[in-house]
Amino acid sequence: MTPLLWRALLRHPLQHPWQLGLAILGIALGVAVVVAVDLANASARRSFALAMERISGQATHRLTGNAQGVPEAWYVQWRLERGLRPSAPVVTGYLPNAEQPGQLLQILGIDPFAESPFRNPAADLTGSDFDLRALLLDAQAALLPEALGERVTLKRGEQRFTLKRAGTLRGPELDGLIITDISTAQTLLGIAGRLSHIDLILPEGSAGERKLAELRAGLPPGLRLERPDERNQAIADLSASFSLNLTAMSLLALIVGIFLIYNAITFSVVQRRMLLGLLRALGVSRRELFLGVLGEALLLGLAGTLLGGLMGLWLGSGLVHLVTRTINDLYYVLSVREFFIDPWSLAKGAALGVLATLAAAWLPAREAADAPPGAALSRAHLESRWRASLPRFLLAGLALLTAGGLTLTFSQSLAAGFAGLFLLILGCALWTPPIVVGLVRLNQPLTARLGLLARMANRDVARHLSRTGVAVAALMVAFSATVGVGVMVDSFRGGVAIWINDLLNADLYIAPPSMEDGGNRSEALTPAALTVLRNMPGIAGVSTYRGTRIDLDGRPITLIAVDLAPASQAGYRLIDGNAAAAWPTFQTGEAILVSEPLAYRRGLAVGDRLELPTDQGSRRFPIAGVFLDYGSEHGRILLHRTGYERYWRDPATGSAAVFAAPGKNLAVLRERLQERLGPIQPLLIRSNRDIQTRTLEIFDRTFTITQVLRVLAILVAVVGVLSALLALQLERAREFAALRAMGMTAGEIGGLVSLQTGFMGAAAGLLAIPTGLLLASVLIFVINRRAFGWSLPLEVNPLLLLETVALAIFAALLAGVYPIWRMARTRPAEALRME
Amino acid sequence: MNKRLRWGGLLVLGLGVALIFLMIRTSPQPAAEVTVGAALGGDDHVDYQRADRPRSFHFPADHGPHPGFRNEWWYVTGNLIDATGRQFGYQLTLFRIALSPHFPVADSAWRTNQVYMGHFALTDVRGEKHHSFERFSRGAVGLAGAQAAPFRVWLEDWALSGTETDAFPLRLQAGEGGVALDLTLQANKPVVLQGDRGLSQKSAEAGNASYYYSHTRLPTQGTVRLDGQTFTVQGSSWLDREWSTSALGPEQSGWDWFALQLDDGRDLMFYRLRRKDGGMDAFSKGVLVDAEGQMRVLRWNEVDLQPLGEWISSKTGDRYPAAWRLRLPGEALDLTVTPKVADQEMRLTVRYWEGAVAVSGHAGPREIRGQGYLEMTRYAPSAPLR
Repeated sequence: MTPLLWRALLRHPLQHPWQLGLAILGIALGVAVVVAVDLANASARRSFALAMERISGQATHRLTGNAQGVPEAWYVQWRLERGLRPSAPVVTGYLPNAEQPGQLLQILGIDPFAESPFRNPAADLTGSDFDLRALLLDAQAALLPEALGERVTLKRGEQRFTLKRAGTLRGPELDGLIITDISTAQTLLGIAGRLSHIDLILPEGSAGERKLAELRAGLPPGLRLERPDERNQAIADLSASFSLNLTAMSLLALIVGIFLIYNAITFSVVQRRMLLGLLRALGVSRRELFLGVLGEALLLGLAGTLLGGLMGLWLGSGLVHLVTRTINDLYYVLSVREFFIDPWSLAKGAALGVLATLAAAWLPAREAADAPPGAALSRAHLESRWRASLPRFLLAGLALLTAGGLTLTFSQSLAAGFAGLFLLILGCALWTPPIVVGLVRLNQPLTARLGLLARMANRDVARHLSRTGVAVAALMVAFSATVGVGVMVDSFRGGVAIWINDLLNADLYIAPPSMEDGGNRSEALTPAALTVLRNMPGIAGVSTYRGTRIDLDGRPITLIAVDLAPASQAGYRLIDGNAAAAWPTFQTGEAILVSEPLAYRRGLAVGDRLELPTDQGSRRFPIAGVFLDYGSEHGRILLHRTGYERYWRDPATGSAAVFAAPGKNLAVLRERLQERLGPIQPLLIRSNRDIQTRTLEIFDRTFTITQVLRVLAILVAVVGVLSALLALQLERAREFAALRAMGMTAGEIGGLVSLQTGFMGAAAGLLAIPTGLLLASVLIFVINRRAFGWSLPLEVNPLLLLETVALAIFAALLAGVYPIWRMARTRPAEALRME
Repeated sequence: MNKRLRWGGLLVLGLGVALIFLMIRTSPQPAAEVTVGAALGGDDHVDYQRADRPRSFHFPADHGPHPGFRNEWWYVTGNLIDATGRQFGYQLTLFRIALSPHFPVADSAWRTNQVYMGHFALTDVRGEKHHSFERFSRGAVGLAGAQAAPFRVWLEDWALSGTETDAFPLRLQAGEGGVALDLTLQANKPVVLQGDRGLSQKSAEAGNASYYYSHTRLPTQGTVRLDGQTFTVQGSSWLDREWSTSALGPEQSGWDWFALQLDDGRDLMFYRLRRKDGGMDAFSKGVLVDAEGQMRVLRWNEVDLQPLGEWISSKTGDRYPAAWRLRLPGEALDLTVTPKVADQEMRLTVRYWEGAVAVSGHAGPREIRGQGYLEMTRYAPSAPLR
């Protein structure tokens, strides 16, 4: 390819900086969102891996127990009677920083004398002056990360603990970590006599297997030996669906970006049909033209990708906070919230950006290569070809829609769900140009009555279908994504609100304050406090709850031991099983209720049995019912208190719900409870309203990132509208000049432009609604179901739809502002002389 | 007495070094002992109990711990032989170290100021191999500790245990890395109170002393396990008990300690304190115990000690005398003390040479033989051997 050809081709974008800039911005935004989400996901994963590594260290196995942990006597016994070395006791947990709300710090309590084969958290202490003697003797001494000050105050419930620096942990991977002696950690976390786990290094191969079998044989039920890496993987997998959803939504943004690139390149090819024809006549081959346009697109793509990468870095550093917060709220504690820049994420983003550009430029480049030599591909010819291919659009769209529908119907996996979703979107996009033509026709009687200007505006849209069709399709996709995600979130929130309202129907809820902190969840109500609740006059019923984590095939699942007042029972909506039969069976403590996600994942139904690892060994519990639950995507199991006490060695009660007797004043009851319970135990008493509000707050927090992505998609869409319509109108400067020369005023032409862009915006916005609703349905009934296992009611907020159309029209009108302003400033004769 | 007089300070230093070693595997050779010692408050005696006057010893109570003193040890060494004549030497020392004079606030069962360090070694004379091990633990939650009745000192599964009323017969159990001992020690001679009725003065400063008693000859039998083989053995052991809160003398550079059991029934203990200027410190001393258990103190100038030759550790480059000539002119004793295996260097967080030795020589005109244990603290590479 000759430099001359390059110069000829590149002159065009350089002369149209608006078009160039907006096209690059379109790609950049798409790439930025993909990169940002990937970086945020990767950072969260890395944070988790680091946190786990600093806990697991070199351990090959670990002994863990239920919520109670492992009695420390096991460690002593193993060391003294079995001489089991290397082995190390670990006490770990999370406590909130009292001075910095929202910051959870990970406490790692170790025995320095047993530590060396396992962890090297103090690697950077070489040569530093950490005070080991203080660490052992002083209950306030701790190794603190650099980022914290000389002292830090932690809280557990009402209690506050101040720790003083006895050494410094350096490096971002030690951020949020506090190392103390094991004695200090037990005091901080309030778990005297217990260990979180015991780490072991067993030899590889048959010797290790023998040792393992020997150790396992001596273990009581409730304690288990496991490989920490497998365990960590299982925990990390908890948030896999969440991460996949984010990735898919970011790809949605990229798809919108692809449409914008396609639009921009197509447009530039169409604009240069004269030049292209001339070049062909001068002997430039088809291949050269094809490669030239593709190369041009590649440059555009590279620039956009580069910019997108930078924006992605910036955006990602913001998103990582949202991602880790959601993971903290829903899955597991992440105390590292570092933004790690994963080069792999950047590479993936770059590759996607470039590939997307090339894919989007493929058709326009072929179009350019097809330009007949000499005679410029006439505009009329092009437009008529477009119109002629309208049936093909309809057919191809239908094919894609069918393929999408079939994919959704006949697949099970989440990834296939997303593939089907994307097929449907593409199908809808292909249908857009024919529908736009149809809309123009529909409009004709109306515009005929509105006068020449309106008629011109309307017919122009169809006349320039090669540009307007693509533009409207791109905008439609962008806006439909925002509609789909918006409706899904609304529906979800509606479902959760009803669920939580039904579920939390007691008047007051009583729990130890630490339950609030997300730190130590094993704290319990004292028996004395429970007695007060049960005997207090004015209380009609009490329900008690105790949550514990059990392992179901390596996955941690919450088991809730309950003793429910009849009114509390009514709050559980059974979606499988008959309440009249289920509850009496459940009351025996021999049958369980499982949540919908658990039932979905494991294909469980009423009458099936589920094997649970109890403290008395494995036991198969019949399922009495399946209840609606959005509490955990991994499922929850309800067991009656009597059964829990029979099969688990945990007599504690975590929290209680209280129903006031009819006619009782709640405020008075609450005050009386506070008075009676206060001296016994510091407890939080909250109304159902408080908890509902808090639950919805967490929900909203969880979906903040979704909303951010949605706003980004809107931004991409608005940029799309601007670039597409701006270019379209700027290109018509000569035409407008002619119109003005024929006597039209600048105001009239401004009206023409506004009408036209407004029409296109309205078309895109209106078409986005059915597509968006289709998208929302797929998200709700397929994606959510497959990712999380729960069913949601579809709930459409008309305001959201109106908003979308209004936004589309507004963006479209905005796109007309500059061309109108420029047209008004240019003298018609001058404009006519151009070209 | 104060054979291992300097152990006091050195232990604290050693513990500090060891702790850092334990936390930081990649740490270089411990060099800044002074800094570490200071960090652990090594020279601070305030509020600890001190050995400042003679006391009466009560057994079995005094077999147990004295936690108000900074340092304490149960130090057992011995020579063993099986029916085929295969010889072994062994050492098991359990050190107690207080990190502070008072017990800290007991917020958790793991909290304690008492830390235990153990050294365990086995010398395989025929195989010319020396195995040494070290471990640490806190004296809490049952991991390590000491008690008088029933007598028991343990560091995880290394343990010395006696009966309800006495330390003897004493069971010694230790094992690690394919080496294990299970021995029973009988006390045939009465306890020897070292120094002045058990108060072993180290320097002119009041309280710079230790309480020190020994059992110099303990007939021993039991089993040695090595590389999957079990040997039934018998032999003779030596127990040293000492507790103190004392400091290093600034003018002293190290010591050589001899615990010898002669075949005429006499036991001889002597330690030589080396001065930095190369001479023998006047606080060097020893004891001679006759076959009936009658003892007399040996003053520094009653003993003539000469290093013979030189052994250089190929692992560390440290130099030690290859053998010794020990003369007691007052008793007409002229003994040559030769290590049964040259390399019995304890390459642990505190580095020293301690091992089984054979004794030969003359008691007046009579030929005499014996065996025992020799301890030599590290000689600086350039120090003169004299």
